[in-house]
This record gives sequence, C-alpha cells and structure tokens, in this order.
Amino acid sequence: MAGLLDFDFLDEVRRMNKRQLYYQALNFGMIVSSALMIWKGLMVVTGSESPIVVVLSGSMEPAFYRGDLLLLTNHPEEPIRVGEIVVFKIEGRDIPIVHRVLKIHEKEDGSLKFLTKGDNNSVDDRGLYAQGQFWLEKKDVVGRARGFLPYVGIVTILMNDYPKFKYLVLACLGIYVLIHRE
Amino acid sequence: MSNNESIEDKPVKIDKWDGTALKNSLDDAAKKVMLEKGYKMKECSRLMDGRLVICTIAVGFAMFALVWDYLKPFPQSKPVLIVCVLSYFILMGILTLYTTYKEMGIFLVALEKDKAGVDPDDIWTLSSVLKKYDDMYTLQISFQDGKTKKTQTIEKQRSVANFFDEEGILHFEKFEQFVKQIKESLNTDKKNK
Repeated sequence: MAGLLDFDFLDEVRRMNKRQLYYQALNFGMIVSSALMIWKGLMVVTGSESPIVVVLSGSMEPAFYRGDLLLLTNHPEEPIRVGEIVVFKIEGRDIPIVHRVLKIHEKEDGSLKFLTKGDNNSVDDRGLYAQGQFWLEKKDVVGRARGFLPYVGIVTILMNDYPKFKYLVLACLGIYVLIHRE
Repeated sequence: MSNNESIEDKPVKIDKWDGTALKNSLDDAAKKVMLEKGYKMKECSRLMDGRLVICTIAVGFAMFALVWDYLKPFPQSKPVLIVCVLSYFILMGILTLYTTYKEMGIFLVALEKDKAGVDPDDIWTLSSVLKKYDDMYTLQISFQDGKTKKTQTIEKQRSVANFFDEEGILHFEKFEQFVKQIKESLNTDKKNK
C-alpha cells in the first residue's frame, strides 16, 4: 500500500466534523494562550516587562555563564543599589544587557543615574551605551536579577544561533498538535 | 476530490498502540451506529458547544491581552493584563470542572423522535472509558424516556482486541454488533415494564 502518498496520517483530521475541527484549532490556540498568559502573569507579578532572560554573553563570568536563566523583578518601590545586577535596554540594541551597577547618583526626588560594568569586562559600559549617553536611568531598567537557573537557557542560545532549527522545531510541534486529536 | 468523498467508506486504520486514537475511533464508530447506520437519531451537540464557548472566550482573553500589551507597552497595560490573566485561569478552571463533572466522558447525546411525534424526544447518552495502558474499552449507554423521564443505564466492557486487527484496522461490523447489543438490551427493558 502506498502509505504516505495517501496522506494516511491526515485521516483523523479528515474524519472530523466542523465542531471537532474548530475544537482542534482552539486546542492549538489554548496551548499558545496558556504560555502567553503564564508569561503575562509573571510580568504582572514581577513588574518586569521580561521576567525571565537568558544570559547571552560571558561578560558576567564567573557570576553568570552563557545560557544561565535569570529571574527578574522590577518593583518600583525597591531602590537600585551599587553591586546589584541589573538588566537594561539601550536604544538601538535589540537585546537587553545583564551587568552590575558600579556607581549611582541619586537625587532627593528619587530620580537616579547609574553606571554599569560587566564583571568580566575590563572597562565600564559607557562604550556600550548609545551615542552621547553617559548614565542609565530608571526607565532603561528591565529588571534586577533575583535568582538564576544554570545552563537551562542553553536551548534558547542554540535556537538563536540556528534560527532555521528553531522554525523547524516550532513547525513540527505546531503540526503535531493540529493533526493529533487530544 | 474523490479522495475526500471516500473518507467515509475508507476503513479506519490507526496506530493501535495509541490509546487516545483507539478511544477516539471507537467513540466515532459508536456515534456512526447511533446516528447513521440503523438508528438515524439526531445529535444534540449542546455539551460540546458549551466547551467550545468556554475555550473561545479564554482564547479571546489571551488574544486581547496580546493586542493590548502591544498597543500600550507594559507598565500602562498592567490593569488590563491582570484582568485578562485572571479571567483566563479562572476559565481554565471552569473548563476542567466542565469536562470532569458535566461531560464525564460523554461523547454523544442523541435525540430519538417519538414515532407518533407527540411525546418529547427520548435522550440517549453515550460515554466511554479506556484507561491508559489498558485494553478494556467500557461503553456506557443510558436512555432517558422522553415522557416518563426515567433513566436506565447499561455499561459493557470489551477488549479493544475484539474490534481491531493486528494492522490496527477497525472492523466496524463487530463493533456495531457490540453497540447494538447494548442498545437493544435497554430497549427490551423498556418493553418489559
């Protein structure tokens, strides 16, 4: 029998009625939605727009290595202090940076400016900041590192390094969920 | 498109080691017996619709949160996100309750018209259980008389090996017999009263 040529693996889908087909699509939607809602829920709880980040560079060794997973919080009432590890964004760069706070200037009204440096770098971060920027401000902060899971994020790094691999995996999972009944 | 038309008649072939596929194909076959072959009852899909509505609303909340968060970046979107996240998880809880306490494995509710067309429809409810790593398929058929509202239930257990061959092909006639046997035993109960 010409097994695959008949698309036998689609038979289950072809036998479905309209309701079952719709439910199949919904099922897929719910998997995506659950992941999304867990993420958004974490955002609300931690106050950070990106509560989990993966360390992509070795600039914070030996504190963090490439592939470590960091849990962030960003509650406005907690002050930023020297020695804390912050994750911040810089205009013109897509990927947030994880570095340690080196110097802080704080005004009485609560506004502050600070300078950062990677533990493993020989100079501070002024060279990394946008042109003409000497200090970071509160609005640049994505969050502060509160905990970490070593090496869990290595999958993310692999996926980033090989985007085709990422799309392949995602496509396979998506198709599996769509054609497989519950 | 002849391929599409023939799907109804094509023998059902599944991976016989896949428990869900086994259960689904047997459930579908039982449906077919009740609705098409022989009995011609009408399906009442209110139970399934309930589940679809719950899921649709839940996915709707998630999508709304996604769009809202995109339009008004994070700190501003916080109150809306809280509402969406809470509603989503509450709906998931409701969905679990719905499937465990309302659906309880029911895969078909069929209505049988009274022959004279006077009395309300009789209601047939089919549910099934196939435990993981187990070959015993339990089919439960319950019948509610439209007039007296009395309900009778019969369940029977058979090994799936009775209905599938080694290739994983469903032998519809054998299963049809099994379903009809249960159904008829309910009918005769009714007549004896």
